[in-house]
Amino acid sequence: MGLIKAVADAVMEKAKHEVKDYLIKFMEEEKEKEEREKEKKTEEIKKEEIPAVMQKESVKIEEFKEEDDEDEEILPLIEPEFIKFTYKVKPQDFTIPGELADIIKMLPVEEFACFIKLMMFVFEQKKNFGYLGNTLRRKIGLESFENEKFDKTVENLEKYGVLKVEQVSDNQKTFILYVPFDEETMVKAEYQKPEKPQQKKVEKKPVKKVDEEEKKSVEKENDQQDDIPGKAVFGMENDDLYKSYRTFVSLEIDKAKMRVGRSNFDKIYMEAVKYIDKKYGFKVLSDSEKFKEYLTNYYISAFDIPTFETWKKTKV
Amino acid sequence: MLDSRILLKSLNDLEVRIMLCKSAFEWELLAKKYVDVESNIKDFFKKKKIPENFATALDTLRASLVQKKGELPPVDLSDFFK
Repeated sequence: MGLIKAVADAVMEKAKHEVKDYLIKFMEEEKEKEEREKEKKTEEIKKEEIPAVMQKESVKIEEFKEEDDEDEEILPLIEPEFIKFTYKVKPQDFTIPGELADIIKMLPVEEFACFIKLMMFVFEQKKNFGYLGNTLRRKIGLESFENEKFDKTVENLEKYGVLKVEQVSDNQKTFILYVPFDEETMVKAEYQKPEKPQQKKVEKKPVKKVDEEEKKSVEKENDQQDDIPGKAVFGMENDDLYKSYRTFVSLEIDKAKMRVGRSNFDKIYMEAVKYIDKKYGFKVLSDSEKFKEYLTNYYISAFDIPTFETWKKTKV
Repeated sequence: MLDSRILLKSLNDLEVRIMLCKSAFEWELLAKKYVDVESNIKDFFKKKKIPENFATALDTLRASLVQKKGELPPVDLSDFFK
C-alpha cells in the first residue's frame, strides 16, 4: 500500500510540474500575442500618421505657393513723389535719413540689401538716380543675384514704392530712389543741356606734362562726374530727339571712318585713347561704358559732327 | 610676408603680358591687374614715399597699357548707339 501511495504521490507531483510548465508556456504565449498585437497597432498608427504629415506638408507647400502669389501682390509702403536730386556737396559719410530707415526696415532682406546697395552706389555719384543697365548688378556688388532675380528685386522695390523705374528710350532705363529731399543739402536735378565738347581745342594745344597730383584730382573728379557731354541726360524732355541725334552721330562716325580710311581712323583712335587717359584718367579707359561715351565725344569733336544743340536747331 | 621684389616682379610680368596682349578682353584683365598691383604697392609702402624704381615701373606700365589700348582695333560703338 505504501508503495502504491508513493507511486501515486510521484505521479501527482509530476502532473503538478507538467501543469505548471503548461501554464507558464500558456502565459508566455499570451504575452507574446499581446506584444505582437501592440506592435501591429503601432505600425498601423504610424501608417495612419504618415499621410497626415504628408497632408500637412502639402498644405505647407500650398501655403508657400500662396505666399509666392502674395509676392506678386505687394502693396506699396509709401507713395512718394520721386524727385531726382544731386547733393550740393557730397556728404563725408553715407547716412540713411531716419524717415527712410523706418520705411526700408520693413523690406524683405533681398530688397533691403538691393536698395541699400543702389543707394550707396548713387551716393558715390552725389545723386539719387542712375542708369539701369546690364552692368549695374555687377557695379553694386550683387553678382550673386542672377539677372532675373535682380530684375525681380528691382521690380519689387518699385512695388514697395521706394524706387521708380523710368523708360528713357527703347533700351535705356533709369531708376530713381526715394530719399527724402533736403533743400539744404540737395538740389533738384533738372534737364541739363549737353555741353559743347571742348575737346578739339584742348587737343590742338601742345601736350602739357600733367603732374601726378593733377592726374589724381582729375581722376577723383571723374569718379564723381556723371554729366558727360553728349551723354543722355535722364529725364530729358526730348528723348526721341536725342535718340535720333545718337543715330545721326553713329552714321556720321561711320561716314568719317570711310572718308579717312582704316589706317587713319586707327591713328585717330590711338590719339583718342591717349587723350582720354590724360584728361579723364586711367580708370575711364578700363570702364568700357564710360570709355565709349568719352570716345564718342572725341569723335564728335574730331570729325566736326554737330553738337546736339546745333543739330537740334537744324531740325526745328 | 610680401617682399617688395615680388611686387616689382609682378610689374615686370605684367609688362610682358601687355606686349603679348591681342584682344580688348585681355586688355581689360590686364588693366584690372595693373590697378590691383598699383594699390598693393601703395599699401606696401603706406605712408612712405614710393621708391623711384617702383614709380617709374608703374608709369611705364600705365603708358604701355594706354599704348596697347590704342593699338588694339578701335572699340565698336554700334552697340552703344542702339
